[in-house]
Parts: sequence; C-alpha cells; structure tokens
Amino acid sequence: MSALLEVDDLNVSMRNGSGRLVPVIEHLSFTVAPGQTLALVGESGCGKSMTALALMRLLPEDFVITSGRIVLEGRDVLALPPKEMRSLRGSAMSMIFQEPMTALNPLFTVGDQIGEVLRWHQGLDRAAARSRVIELLRAVQIPAAEQRIDAYPHQLSGGMRQRVMIAMALAGRPKLLIADEPTTALDVTVQAQIFDLLAELQRSTGTAILLITHDLGAVAELADEMLVLYAGRCIEAGASDTIVTAPRHPYTRGLLNCVPHLAIGEPPKPWVDLGEIPGMVPPLGARGADCAFLARCAQACDVCRAKPQPALESIAPDHAVSCWRKTELAA
Amino acid sequence: MTVIESTSQVSAPQTDLPARTAASPGRLALRQFTKSPSGVAGACMLILIILVAVAGPSLYPVDPLDLVGAPFMPPDADAWFGTDYLGRDVLAGLIHGGRATLAVGAVAALITIVIGLVIGAVGGFFGGAIDATMVKITEFFQILPPLLFAMVLVTLFGPKLTTITLAIGGVSWTSVARLTRAEFMRLRDLDFVKASRAAGASNVNLILRVLLPNALPAVIVSATLAIGVAILFEGGLSFLGLGDPNVMSWGLMLGQNRNYILDAWWAVMFPGAAIFLAVLAISLVGDGLNDAINPRLRRRS
Amino acid sequence: MSMAEAIRGTGTREVLLDVNDLVVHFPAGRRHGKPSFVHAVDGVSFRVRRGTTFGIVGESGSGKSTTAQAVMRLVPATSGQIVFGNRDIAGLTGRSLREVRRHLQIVFQDPFSALNPRRRAGDQIREPLDLLGIGTRSERDERVRRLLAEVGLPPQAADLYPHQFSGGQRQRLCIARAMAPEPDLIVCDEAVSALDVAIQAQILNLLKRLQRERDLTYIFISHDLGVIQKFCDEVAVMYLGKIVEQAPAADIFAAPRHPYTWSLVAAAAPPGPMREDLKRRYLVKGDPPSPVDPPPGCRFAQRCPMAIEACSQRLPALDAIGPHHYVACHRAAELA
Repeated sequence: MSALLEVDDLNVSMRNGSGRLVPVIEHLSFTVAPGQTLALVGESGCGKSMTALALMRLLPEDFVITSGRIVLEGRDVLALPPKEMRSLRGSAMSMIFQEPMTALNPLFTVGDQIGEVLRWHQGLDRAAARSRVIELLRAVQIPAAEQRIDAYPHQLSGGMRQRVMIAMALAGRPKLLIADEPTTALDVTVQAQIFDLLAELQRSTGTAILLITHDLGAVAELADEMLVLYAGRCIEAGASDTIVTAPRHPYTRGLLNCVPHLAIGEPPKPWVDLGEIPGMVPPLGARGADCAFLARCAQACDVCRAKPQPALESIAPDHAVSCWRKTELAA
Repeated sequence: MTVIESTSQVSAPQTDLPARTAASPGRLALRQFTKSPSGVAGACMLILIILVAVAGPSLYPVDPLDLVGAPFMPPDADAWFGTDYLGRDVLAGLIHGGRATLAVGAVAALITIVIGLVIGAVGGFFGGAIDATMVKITEFFQILPPLLFAMVLVTLFGPKLTTITLAIGGVSWTSVARLTRAEFMRLRDLDFVKASRAAGASNVNLILRVLLPNALPAVIVSATLAIGVAILFEGGLSFLGLGDPNVMSWGLMLGQNRNYILDAWWAVMFPGAAIFLAVLAISLVGDGLNDAINPRLRRRS
Repeated sequence: MSMAEAIRGTGTREVLLDVNDLVVHFPAGRRHGKPSFVHAVDGVSFRVRRGTTFGIVGESGSGKSTTAQAVMRLVPATSGQIVFGNRDIAGLTGRSLREVRRHLQIVFQDPFSALNPRRRAGDQIREPLDLLGIGTRSERDERVRRLLAEVGLPPQAADLYPHQFSGGQRQRLCIARAMAPEPDLIVCDEAVSALDVAIQAQILNLLKRLQRERDLTYIFISHDLGVIQKFCDEVAVMYLGKIVEQAPAADIFAAPRHPYTWSLVAAAAPPGPMREDLKRRYLVKGDPPSPVDPPPGCRFAQRCPMAIEACSQRLPALDAIGPHHYVACHRAAELA
C-alpha cells in the first residue's frame, strides 16, 4: 500500500537572537499509511509539535525548514504555492489542538465556525452547510446538536469544545488528521470519551491520524505505529505494541517506567521510587553531534561517548532504534 | 558540564542549572532597551536637555529676567537667539526656563504616580467596598476637564510654580490609578502571591514587596509619558496667561510672546521647539521602555 | 514495611488535621432575582494523620483545589471547622492566622506563576524565614543553601531569577520554599500535573523522600489516578463539592463502591480486556453539571447509570461500609 504521508529527512531550525540557525528537528523520516494512526511521543521540547506545524507549514516566525521532503498523496507539500497550501489545510489535512478554550473564536457560534470551513472547501451554501454541520456535531456525539449549533464557545464545556474542534477538523473530510495532545487539557473521564470518539471516527471515515502525545502508555491501544522523539531526533520507531511491550532504547524504557499506571485488583505494594530519568531534555542550541540522550543515559558506555548520534537502524521487522548498544540491551 | 559540589551532607541528586549568572528582569529590560534605536536616541536627547538645564546657567550666566537690549532684536552675534518683547535674552530664557519646565514636569509626574499608585493599589488589592470607593473617586476626577480644573485651581490659589505643579499632578493621576488597579487585580490571584500569603506575609508586606514590584513595569511607561504630558500642561497654562510671571519657563516665554509672533518669530519659535523636543524625547524613551518591558515583544535567545 | 502495615500503622497515629463540614460558596451573580452561589465545597469532612498522605482526586469543578486552599485559609470558608493540631483555625485572623501559616504550606500546579518573577530564588525561599524572624541573616542564608541542596539544586541557584530555571527546577524551588518554615503539613495542589512525565517522577520521588526524612504530612491533590494510587495512603474522591467515596488507597481502587469512582477507574485503567469490560459497564457520558445552585439529591444522579428515584431527591450521607471505607451512595449495599 502506498503511503498517504511521507516525510523524508526533515530538518527544522530556529533562528536565535544572533541570527544563527539552531537545529530543532533533525533527520526525521516517517510514513503514515491511509487509515492508520501514528503516534509521535516525547517530552516537551522534543520537537513533537514543531513537526506537526512543519507538516501544516504553519511554523512560527523564526522557524525554518532547512531541508527534507513532505509528500502528501503524491504532492510535495513544501513546493506548493501559498494559495494551494491554504486549500490543502482543512481539506487534505487538518489539525486539532491541545487547548480547546483558545482554539475557537469566541465571537462566532460553533455552527458559523464549522460552516465556514464547509463553505470554503466544499462551496456549500448556507442551508446545506447548516444541515451538514448538524450531521457533523452528531457524528462527534454532541447531544442536542440542533440547539448546540447556535451556541457560542463559552457556553460549552471543555469536552464539548474539543468535540467541536474535532467536528471542524473533520468538516473538510481530511485524509490526515493531526491531533496535538488533544486530551491533555481535559478531565479523565472526558479524555477516555475523546479517545474512543477518535477511534470510532477513524473506523467510519478512514482518516489517518497523526497523534502527538507525551503519554506513551495512554496511546498504545489507539496507535498502530509509534515514533519516539528525543531532542528533535527520532530514537525509536516501530509498531506501538512492540514499543510498549519491548522497548529497546533506554529513553523509551525510562518514559514507560516513570509513569505510575493505575493497577486494578492487585494487592497493595510498598512504595518503591519511580524510575527516574535524571536531568532534563537538552535545550535548543546545546545539542551536539553525540547521542542526545548521552548525558541522561544510565546505560551509556565508552562507545556512546566516542561516537556521534547513531543512525536509526532496524533491529527487527518494523522496529528501529537509534542506540549504539541496541543489541546488548535487548530484553 | 561540570558537576557542582553540594554544600551539605544531603545526598540529593543535583540537577544542572541552565544559566550561571543571575539576569534580573530589570537588567534584561535595560539590555533590551539599548537595542531600540529610537529609544536610545530619545534617551540621548533627554540627557542633553537635562544637562543644558542643569549646567547651562553657570556656563551662560545671563539673568533671563534682565533686560539686555532693545525689544525684538533678531538673532545675531550679541544675542544668538534674539530678544523678546521686553528685550530679555531668549537664550537665557531657554536655558533657565528649561530648569523650571523640567522640574514642573518631573514633580507633577511624581505626584501623578504617587496618588495613582496609592489609589489604584489600595482599590485593586482589597477589592469590594474599598475598591468601589476608590473607583468612584477616580471617576470623579476623570470626568472633570483637566485643563479647566487646573485653571480653576491656579486662579484660586494664585499663579505660583508650586500651585501649578500641584494642580497638574492633582488632575492627571487617574490613568495611573486605573492601570495600577488593573495590574493589582490581575496579580493578586496569582500563585506566588498566595504562596507569600501562605508564608505569613501581611497585607502591607504583600502590597509593597510582592505586588508593587510586579506592577511597576506597566506603571513606569505611563509615568514616563506623564512627564511629557505635565510639560505640555505647564506650557498650556502659561500660554493661557496662568504661568508664574516670576519664574522663567518655556511655557511662560510662549505665553508672553505669542501676540508678537508675526514681528518676532524667534521669541516664540525657540521655546516652542524646546518643548517639542523635550516631549518628543520623553515619548521616544517611553516607547522604548514599553517595548523592553512588554514581555510579548521580548524574544528569547 | 509493606503498604498494608503502613496503613495499619497510620491508623494509630495522631490526627493532625480534622476538617469538619467545610463549606465554601462563591457568589455567582443573580439568577431569577435571587442571589445564586457556586457550591465549590459543600460539606466536606475528613481527617489527616501525621506522616501520611491524604489524596483528593476528582475532575475540574469537583472542588478539590478549593478544599485544599480553604484548609490553607487562602480562600474564605463559608462555614465549618478546620481543626489543626488542637485548635480551630477557621476563624483566625491577623497575627494569629499568620503564626499558624508557618505550619501549613502549599505547592502549586503551575511552577511558572508560583514564583515571583522579580525576586531571586534564594530571596523567595528565605521569605518565610524573614517574615518569621528566624535566626540571623547569615543563618537564614545557610538554611536556604541547605534547602536547595535537599531539593537537588546547587547553591548558586539562590542568586538566579525564576525565568532562568526549567519547569522541574522551579517546582523544586517551590518545594524548598514550602519546606523553609519547617511546616507540619504541605498541600500539593496538582503539584506534578504540569510537568513532563520524566520530571514528574523526579518530583514524586523527591516528595516521598522528604516525607520519610521529616515525617511530613501531605494533602495531595491530583486528577491522575495512577499517581494518586502510587503516592497516597488514604484517598477521597470528590464530585461537585462532595466527597463521594473515601478509603485507604489500597482498597479504593481494588474495590471501588461508588459508581463515580468506578467510572474514574474505568477511564484511567491501563489498556487491556479488563478496561474494555469496565468501560462497557461504567464509563459515564458527558461532562459534570454546573456547580452553581445544584439540584437536591445526589450530585451524581444525572450521570449515574444506576440512579433510582431516591437518588435525585435525597442527598446520600457518607457512610462507613467497612473499616476506613466510606461511600455516599443510596445503593452502596446492593451495588457491592
């Protein structure tokens, strides 16, 4: 099956105060197949959100794509003129954000905002757009869609707003939906509902999802493939089941160990310190040629210190790791 | 990265600091300010004007109220900037008058800020009935036309420089009060204020040591601009004949010579230009400060 | 010592904090001519024993943070008792309140707004000591250095300003500040929620170590059930201003009895067949209703899949159903 989205050797840099280019994302390559879900995982400062914004060509001022290719359905996204890029956003690919409070315009009703997308991309008239909006609101399981269509964002709860955002993102029938931490700002019971909704919508519409998250465990069941980013570099990639059950890179292992997951129906355990990754992600501009995780890695040895960042190499079908000790650290 | 030695026996894992030297927000703002060409130009101009006003009288010791020659002498070698309708030296007036004008501006701005800060801080911090009272007082002063009110005050208490200064300060503090109140209301609910409260800080302590330093950046800009406004105000009052006739100021020069502008342009033009330049310099400094202090415009390196 | 022993052990320790029928209402304008109120906390009672961690879990609007801040006397309590040590601190004002405050400290969620941006880190940690007038200036500075070392920061950190630290380091500073007056009780109000997972683990380990070393008591507020289960000895689940279930951490997730606790557990359960099963049975739909002038009856009745008529008419009391296990549900006996 040919890929829907193909990212090849993407490099993004930031121009700092003195005009020097500082790498933000380095040599990132991945593909998303139609109807599949790929999760980008990592701590903040690892370049997850910047990757999403680069795909949409919505990078903030001072950030530039220095090299690489982004191909969506055979079209080179980076070569498109601005006008075609605008029509691509919202129709071929769309995005939902972490904070549903600020991502909606407070001055317009949700019906107006979703309808606008339909009128731009599908040329629907007002009446047709309105009935389609009601359909969409039903699809994202908003009760009493006929009434809620005339609600303003401040009249809705956080979960409802995120549903509206999803409806808006799906209005243009995108092939690819980029979801940037879509549940982080929501309550626990609402988070579960939103994840279920995304999975269900994916089944019914066949949209591919690029899911950006910091919680490896939470997305394991939703994602088919997973990409672990560290300091702007991909350090482990593969099928999400494999990565969650048999992580190979020390960072991925650390990420999995440091989250206390809820244990049900188990006898109480005494307190054991959580697995800790000491230190923090190296800030922009402090990332050298050697392995980015070196300073925090408990497994680092002389090889790691002597050589540069290792290449992302396969260790099994559909499982690649960027680590000098990948074979020794197995199991 | 070097490992920093612990000073105590505790075996806590140490985390490295991203920075080694302290960078206070004030110093960062100053550094940012020096990057703004117009702000620096304004600051240079302002320093020059202040230097002339401070040191000028001893370098050019001509009494601005003395009659040094015939009236309406155009600028020439004897009097570089000419003489006015009484035959007083315009240059001496500019130099000595600058002192009075700048002093009026600075003191009036100080009064503006003190009244505004107190009213705004008290209202914004305590809220409720106290705030409602403070807002009412502010609104009362806001609806009075400031120039007319100042004229009434000066007419009542006589055209003395102190009266003029107090009148200007007394009518222009409302915007500072509103700004301070808004800042205090925003800040008082932030966690670090609660943390100080939890540490046992009293209300006076919270207002003076926690909230005020954080509210000041926003107020500093408007305070700077208040100096310019006060200078214009003094000029306006003098222009209307309400200046102190015993103290030479730029406004007084304007006011006394305005009837003869067609015969002797220099007696009006030079003090006018001086006021213009001083206010311009202050505005440029104010804008520069605003850019430096406003964190939205500050770029992280 | 196993967790079970630890819990049995905690049962005999002295009660440090005894909150009795705490109510916090905020005015919310007028509705239909009558003044209406946000019932942020609506009759909450609990006890915290010295040296233990009392967890409060709930979603936004449940009143968990308001409860904690009311205990700290940072928001005014409408009614109720807050007995700390042996005295009711709910009515204290002025000097006596400020003196009590040194024993109660708080760590906030957002390490960015919790530190004064215009003061050096060391000055902020020293602030409580200055206010209390403890020791000489150099003794206080020495104590600041020791506190910094205890939270894992080098002494040079004292001279830096908050914006020069990362999020995790700021939270360490906040913890050092909270520990400065040597309090008995520290409220951690979502203290790790804003941090990255790796940093979150560092801070949790640090808090636990400090508790062991100094016999600290925590009220630990979080929406993350995994963290709550791992970190707390006793857990209260709050929903719309009320405690709906309270039990030792070991019991509450193993045998939840309130339908709302079930749905929280179902939502947070790790993936697997068990979660699918739980979700099918208990996962609630929609969002919590508004806490403004709530209707009579059980607060959860509108969303509860098990609700019967009585639920929307009478408010269930928080009754004991086992040792240290309390549930506020009319159907608690049948739904076991």
